[in-house]
Amino acid sequence: MTSYLLRRLPSLAAVLAVSSVLVFGLIRLVPGDPATTLAGANATPDAVAAIRHQLGLDQPLLTQYLRWLGDLLTFDPGRSYIIGGGIGSLVGDALGNTLLLTGTALLLAVLSALLLGPLWAGTRRRWLEHLLTGVNTLAIAIPTFVLGVALALVFGVLVPVLPAGGVPRDGLLADPSITAQYLLLPAVCLGLPVGAVLTRYLAESLRTELAKPYVVTALAAGVARRRLLFRHALRNVLPTSLTVLGLQTGALLGGAVLVEFTFSWPGLGLLIERAVTGRDYPVVQVLLMLSVTVFAVLQLLTDAAHALLDPRIRLGGAR
Amino acid sequence: MNPALSRRALLTGAAGGAALLALAGCTSAVGAQNSGTAKKGGTFLGGISTDLVPANFFTNSNAGVTTIIGLVYESLIHYPVDRLRPEPRLAKDWTISPDGRTVTLHLRDDVTFHTGRPFTSADVAFSLRTYADPKWNGQLKSTAQAITSIDARDPHTAVLHLAHPLGNILDLLEIVPIVDEKTFAGVGDGSRYVGTGPFVFEKWSPNSRLKFAKNPKYWVPGRPYLDAVDIAVITDTTSLTSQLRSGQIDYAYGSSFLDIERLEKSGKFDTIQLRGAETQVYVGTNVTAEGLADVRVRQAIAHALDRDRVIAEVFRGSGYTANLPWPKTSPAYDAQLNASYGRDVAKAKSLLAAYGKPVPTLKYSYIAKDPLLAATAQIVQANLKEIGITVALDPLDPPTFVAQLIGGKFPGLWTAYHSWAQYTPSTLTVSAYPFNALKNSSHYTSAAYTRDADAAWRQVAGDSVEARKAYTALSRDLLDGLFLIEIGVIEGRWAVSDRVRNVAYTKRSELVLTDAQLTA
Repeated sequence: MTSYLLRRLPSLAAVLAVSSVLVFGLIRLVPGDPATTLAGANATPDAVAAIRHQLGLDQPLLTQYLRWLGDLLTFDPGRSYIIGGGIGSLVGDALGNTLLLTGTALLLAVLSALLLGPLWAGTRRRWLEHLLTGVNTLAIAIPTFVLGVALALVFGVLVPVLPAGGVPRDGLLADPSITAQYLLLPAVCLGLPVGAVLTRYLAESLRTELAKPYVVTALAAGVARRRLLFRHALRNVLPTSLTVLGLQTGALLGGAVLVEFTFSWPGLGLLIERAVTGRDYPVVQVLLMLSVTVFAVLQLLTDAAHALLDPRIRLGGAR
Repeated sequence: MNPALSRRALLTGAAGGAALLALAGCTSAVGAQNSGTAKKGGTFLGGISTDLVPANFFTNSNAGVTTIIGLVYESLIHYPVDRLRPEPRLAKDWTISPDGRTVTLHLRDDVTFHTGRPFTSADVAFSLRTYADPKWNGQLKSTAQAITSIDARDPHTAVLHLAHPLGNILDLLEIVPIVDEKTFAGVGDGSRYVGTGPFVFEKWSPNSRLKFAKNPKYWVPGRPYLDAVDIAVITDTTSLTSQLRSGQIDYAYGSSFLDIERLEKSGKFDTIQLRGAETQVYVGTNVTAEGLADVRVRQAIAHALDRDRVIAEVFRGSGYTANLPWPKTSPAYDAQLNASYGRDVAKAKSLLAAYGKPVPTLKYSYIAKDPLLAATAQIVQANLKEIGITVALDPLDPPTFVAQLIGGKFPGLWTAYHSWAQYTPSTLTVSAYPFNALKNSSHYTSAAYTRDADAAWRQVAGDSVEARKAYTALSRDLLDGLFLIEIGVIEGRWAVSDRVRNVAYTKRSELVLTDAQLTA
């Protein structure tokens, strides 16, 4: 397994190196820069030039790139131009909030898929099948921002049982029950489409698996259907479901941007929105690189999980 | 089908749901508050739509900054919101020498910073010098830079020596927050804000909230009433309004005019109309562009604009139409001059006919993210179509827009807001770049405008008869040159719940909670 992972590392490094150039270059192709953002609409060109000089933006691009790369390699991502604080702590705080949100959303999505997928695949009641199909289609089709606004309006304003957005005043760690209430609506909003996709995929895979000859033979031999479903069919479809889960986790991180904005959840999504809008180069660069790194590592882990579950992959790779 | 499986699954689901509901039911995060009479103490909960940008500390450009300055800091003098009559604040009294080149300020001797250090004239000198530093981009930087020296030998007297008379020197003293030199480094990264005001800065969590506590040693006896202030950053304005409606917050800065109108109609919320802290919406012109180079075309545009419609539909009646930047409270306001370019489509067409050439399609830029500017641009586009001018809308994101504005790169027209006309008129012409006489976004130059702007600035007293004459000359220059075509004066609005009392503001829309109270 270790040699399998080691063989994948060079390609990971190449992806990150190319990404760093693209990330650094692309943000600079967008019109406007941090100096104009900081100066505002009433500033003079002289004031903008003074700010640009102060930020080091009047230096050659190669110098700026190498300085940034050096900072990254020494684990010192620098300071935000717009927000002002150290990027390490800014990203750290936001990352913690985003991980809590996406982790909860993922948990809800996986639990709902493990609960509803087998139910959907195993049921013979037409009304239940129709109900699950309808709800599942709606959950996949409804845009996140619409769902978010609807959830906030219904549960935050019309029937005010949950906060319409934000985070607890005393922080996320002060009172878990309060935190859970703030977390519930954004997590449901974020996790619902992912859970729906996973549920549908799992149900379809299980149906296919249950139609295979070994299942028919086992049923004829008197093996309980529930035992077949959970002991054999589910186990056989889990590796491919893991791939879908890996891809959906990436989508989940992307969806967090919208959900965080809708519910004022101070995570990476809000941070990157603010950084891009303000042309906060150092923050955008770090966040994009972090995003690329997380996605690449997730793919690596998904492949590793595949290799772990299917010996043919890791042995095939060794030949 | 396997019924046992379904039952189990359903039971598991029900148990999970019950667990979530139980967790959610421990202590409600949506606490209801009682209504009634005003009380002392309590935490004021508010929401703002734009977060703090530490580097903009002196630019008054976002709600995060104005909230901190309004609560934590104080200036030397204070203008009531409805007039430019200075009142004492950290300065007890002041005199301006007859030649207008020396200002003597006598300071309060009972004021301390939140660190406990006494406030002295050295802090006045430090604050004004810091404000003049180009890196902070203060709006009245040029006025601050005209202070040649500050005599702070007496701790309770500050003497400012000026390069020349400054008609807007009192504006500067009203605007500049008095900062603490010892801790000022923390302002740059948003970690520390130390002033003399009624509330002590506790913490800023980026993209999340600002927290303040009562200043127990505030120099005004018995104030503030509140124990603490907690301001959430809610960048989505829909969410901001939802949180106000749900009772999570009692004050919202950033809700749309339409949302505030609806809140007011519900009877549970009040509106604070920011009269005296106005902004203006205008159509800018690049006077070097083909067509726009001829003033008759600019006059035709000015006559074509349906200002009433913009104010009524876009800004929900929260303001009034204008041909000049000055609000009604300004010493430069002249009702007759302000009506120079009323809507007159026939006159607009005749001006275009006199121009004699077809006007090419004009690119019209605005910030797409701002729905009010987008709606204004669409109305202006329709107005200009009526007189035969075709406009191509050019929505931009904020940094791109600002880069083009400052770089003078708009190819045709643009729409934006400006401010600072609510102060002494010369403050606008020396501070707001679009109005700068020497270099501006429109590429407009005029010897008369440059001369009159300078003359207005160099008045000994900003409200004298001579000064008013100078402002009239300035107004005529603006109407004649018409490089910026005003649409209207806009009064912002804040929404507050009926659970709070005495929420106030300054002429820069800073939140003032010195006298604010919650209801029991």
